Amino acid sequence: MDTGKNDIDPITLQVLSSALGSICAEMGAALIRSSYSTNIKERRDCSTALFDASGTLVAQAEHIPVHLGALPDAVAAVLAEGPEPGDVFILNDPFRGGTHLPDITLVAPVTVDGAIIAYAASRAHHADVGGSEPGSMPAGSLTLEEEGVVIGPTRLVAAGEMQQEFLDGFLTRVRRPGERLGDLRAQLGAGRVAQARLEELAWREGSRRLAAAMAATVSYSERRMRAEIADLPDGRYQAEDYLERDGDDLVIRVAVEIAGDEIAMDFSGTAPQEQGNLNCPMAVTRSACYFVMRAITDPDIPPNAGAVAPVSVSAPAGCLVNAVPPAAVAGGNVEASQRIADAVALALSKAVTLPAQSQATMNNLTLGSDEFNYYETIGGGGGACQERDGASGIHTGTTNTLNTPVEALEMAFPLKVERYELRHGSGGAGQRRGGDGVVRSLRLLAPARLSLMADRRRHGPRGAAGGEAGLTGRNLVNGREVPGKVTLSLDAGDTVTVETPGGGGFGSASQPPKPAKA
Amino acid sequence: MLGIDVGGTFTDCVLVHGGELFRAKVATTPDQSEGVLAAAFRALAAAGVEAGQVDYFAHGMTTATNALLERQGARTAAVATEGFRDILEIGRQNRSRLYDLCPERPEPLVPRELRYTVVERVTPAGAERELTDREAERLVARLKDARPEAIAVCLLFSFLNPGHEERLGELLKRELPGVHVSLSSRVLPQFREYERFSTTAVDAYLTPVVQRYLASLGEGVRAAGLPEPAIMQSNGGVIPLPLAAASAAPLLLSGPAAGVVGAAFAGGRGGCGDLMAFDMGGTSTDVTLVRGGAATVTGSSEIGGSPVALPMVDIHTIGAGGGSIAWIDAGGALRVGPRSAGALPGPACYGNGGSEPTVTDANLVLGYLGGDLGGAGGIRLDADAAREVVGALAASLGLRLEEAAMGIRRVANAGMVKALRVISVERGHDPRGFVLVAFGGAGPMHGADLAGELEVSRVLVPDSCGVLSALGMVVGDQRRDWVRTVSAPPDWDTEFVASAFARLEEETGAGPAGARVVRQADLRYRGQSHELTVDYDGGGRDSLVAAFGAAHEQAYGYTAQDEAVELINIRVTALEALEGPELWPPRAGAGKPLFRRAYFGGEWLEAAVWQRLDLGLDTVPGPAVIEEGEATTVVPPGWEARLDDAGNLWLEAGKEWTL
Repeated sequence: MDTGKNDIDPITLQVLSSALGSICAEMGAALIRSSYSTNIKERRDCSTALFDASGTLVAQAEHIPVHLGALPDAVAAVLAEGPEPGDVFILNDPFRGGTHLPDITLVAPVTVDGAIIAYAASRAHHADVGGSEPGSMPAGSLTLEEEGVVIGPTRLVAAGEMQQEFLDGFLTRVRRPGERLGDLRAQLGAGRVAQARLEELAWREGSRRLAAAMAATVSYSERRMRAEIADLPDGRYQAEDYLERDGDDLVIRVAVEIAGDEIAMDFSGTAPQEQGNLNCPMAVTRSACYFVMRAITDPDIPPNAGAVAPVSVSAPAGCLVNAVPPAAVAGGNVEASQRIADAVALALSKAVTLPAQSQATMNNLTLGSDEFNYYETIGGGGGACQERDGASGIHTGTTNTLNTPVEALEMAFPLKVERYELRHGSGGAGQRRGGDGVVRSLRLLAPARLSLMADRRRHGPRGAAGGEAGLTGRNLVNGREVPGKVTLSLDAGDTVTVETPGGGGFGSASQPPKPAKA
Repeated sequence: MLGIDVGGTFTDCVLVHGGELFRAKVATTPDQSEGVLAAAFRALAAAGVEAGQVDYFAHGMTTATNALLERQGARTAAVATEGFRDILEIGRQNRSRLYDLCPERPEPLVPRELRYTVVERVTPAGAERELTDREAERLVARLKDARPEAIAVCLLFSFLNPGHEERLGELLKRELPGVHVSLSSRVLPQFREYERFSTTAVDAYLTPVVQRYLASLGEGVRAAGLPEPAIMQSNGGVIPLPLAAASAAPLLLSGPAAGVVGAAFAGGRGGCGDLMAFDMGGTSTDVTLVRGGAATVTGSSEIGGSPVALPMVDIHTIGAGGGSIAWIDAGGALRVGPRSAGALPGPACYGNGGSEPTVTDANLVLGYLGGDLGGAGGIRLDADAAREVVGALAASLGLRLEEAAMGIRRVANAGMVKALRVISVERGHDPRGFVLVAFGGAGPMHGADLAGELEVSRVLVPDSCGVLSALGMVVGDQRRDWVRTVSAPPDWDTEFVASAFARLEEETGAGPAGARVVRQADLRYRGQSHELTVDYDGGGRDSLVAAFGAAHEQAYGYTAQDEAVELINIRVTALEALEGPELWPPRAGAGKPLFRRAYFGGEWLEAAVWQRLDLGLDTVPGPAVIEEGEATTVVPPGWEARLDDAGNLWLEAGKEWTL
């Protein structure tokens, strides 16, 4: 859907869209390689993106899907502050452009000859942003303030000058301030890459032509996404899934309506926002919905505003998936986002054949004290599909972060890994078997606080087309089962064991399996 | 001197004799040693040389790579510490495609039923639980029942304390004779258990296959009266055949590495050490950065889904080449690849039934390619067929024929530029200081355009650019690498460094007489989890920290003066330079160019068409096309071409361009 006539032919479109994607990739490479946090470096929990002068997302390098739909809100929040050349804005407030507090976003105008031609944004999951628990992911938080420092859109750099007072104030409120400074420097470096590359491109192509190319890239993605949606059968498809908390389940209900080349997702009927921290700001909900759309369409559609323009997402304000202040949100980004994606995929599976459900929990595990801070998410069983068994011990859904090697972990932290193996037989039976979850067991060599935030402890991932559900996960402390979401003080010698869920099976197990691929 | 490179389609051979270079190309045979001998005999015949006169023979192969990609390796069992049976399957727990509801992962090289565990445990503090004789014997009994051809042993922290692995290794050798055993503490004594295990499993899986091949090759070579070949490794250096047969993991990129060595050699003869090697073939393109005459080497790579953490020439491959197919996607953009017309049917202009436009067809339409392709193929090109398929695409784009052909080139070039930026800019190097070395069947046709995009002002098209890998075999140094993770205390000092290197060199016997020893160390700031490798000049802790600071600044744009620097790994490389071939300078040319119309910058121009051998020592201005047996070089307007006395073809951007 072209908004106006421009002079970008199909060849220039492909060449410049590739160049814009390549700038984001270079920003990402600079950020990952020069950062400090394990979360960013080893686990690539970060994203980089370019926006045009009006704040429209034109290109993004994603390393983790949950950021896709959430960055535009950050740039919108910054635009409202009237950014000037030479500024760099920082924010993490989930209700003003952020997701959850550890995700710190930097937004900087890109200028050519003194005029703003674009915005560069980077988002990275910092290892700690203060708050009540090391790692800033407390399992039991009730307010946002408990989860860490809340930063609305603020100038970190103003007219080229680092705002030292702000920076010092921030650093005194977080654990390991040296690391935070290193990560912020890495993010600033990513912004400098964008400035240099876009300047070069504008010099070569001309600023006007570059702006036209940005617009053309956006409308190109939109055309491709519309073509994909048009291929889906029209109709209204409903589903619900559950997020577990101590004592009861929170329902996530969605109605997906496909009409021609547009798709609408409405979360009316979803549980109200809760006391705890499983709440999602709307930005996270949109990301989870976009994740499913990207997964069921051609993944090489360039990720930008056009790719999601035909997808509308709505939810009543104040519900679990459109939380309002002062809701706590630490678990929303990591756990609720997974379940939102599950619910949307479940609804869509009534229109098209889709794989069985995967573990779809990140099994967030934090162990920390004043001396150390270790955060890990643990893979599990992938859902099976028509073509193959589910993968075992893998990250699924809205996350894709790496594990910490046992040998790296034991050299860095007072912890010993007792066991890290597949959880045999945990995948759901079916014509195609669900993947197995894993067992990860750690012994503490020093006292520490434990925060666990894991889901699918009561409802196993569902099978598809007659396949059986995967086994539910379990958390154990010294061999005794503890709730899915828990914060505890542990002593040296204690063990924590996380058994992650298996994936759902596909097709009835009693059917003879299809012959193996030729 | 004889160099032979076995590729997927062709086996290339160069023979250097009396200052002259003789080439031969034959089809690759299922038993690769047959093709190797056939190529050797053809080159010997061309040069009029007896096998007995060949003083040196180096060889690169694809046996190991193919066995890994096609999963045709040995039946391999694995042994892990109890509690960690599935390291090979879990990997780093990520998936390769982000947006995938049912991700597919390559099957682990060792299936679940052949993965064994043994009760023992080493921690950073030492052996917490000893491996008992009873436990070791129990394991051996179970392994005997499994009847493996090879066994990979990888126990936790064996890089710090290899005692348990070594005991198992001796026992297995004694009790399971004929079964190949790879110990992780030998293959890769470095931390991060998954990468070490994967590398060890690859080694175990491939070594029996490589051993069989090298035994058969050795026999054939002996019978033919040729010297025993040295084998090219992934690191760009060669080792004697018996060492290669003992451990296959270091051989995975044997052929591609030699191509880069050949490119570096050509650059060196032209007086340039900082290069971007650009090898564009029919279905894929390899790019590699060369600095100071040496190919950049990476500590790890992933091949066929298996991480291999050994020093390898850092080759970045993209799935686009001359045979890549152009198409219009659902959003109306022109795309090139990833589908390729391959060798069969090949581009439409090959006349073998190809019905879709490829990059090669576009180059023919534009007048860059002439009527036939030389080399082993000897294919006559069908220009009408090319015009037909590109014309159909042009019609659907609403463009003129030549605009559509130029579009295909531009889109293909955009992908190549991206790849070249990944190996330069993304790793902290400004491409403008580098020379682009273009080779492979299609490389010289695109070199100048890519250089223009990257603001690189010089392109080098090496002599014998179609058999550069085979030439690389002949000019590669002997090279062996060793690495060790050292458990350095936070206050590590000069003495610690010196004794760590001394110990490693003594243990490995690095530095035999005549070899040059390069010492390097992997360092990082405290809290970081990726290391940077820097050279160690023997100057102690201070010099290492300074070198690290400079490398960090170069790669990431900053140094952190206040942060502690951790010493993680030390590396020792033994290099033995072999006497390089002597090649005579080219003779002055006698020929005159023909002319044909070619499309440049929006208009048809009369381009001079030269045969490379006829060029002589004069400078030829663009627009021009320079043809030779295996390749065609395009010289756009604003560029000029000349041969240097080493026979290299140089393209240089004119002054007005650089402004």
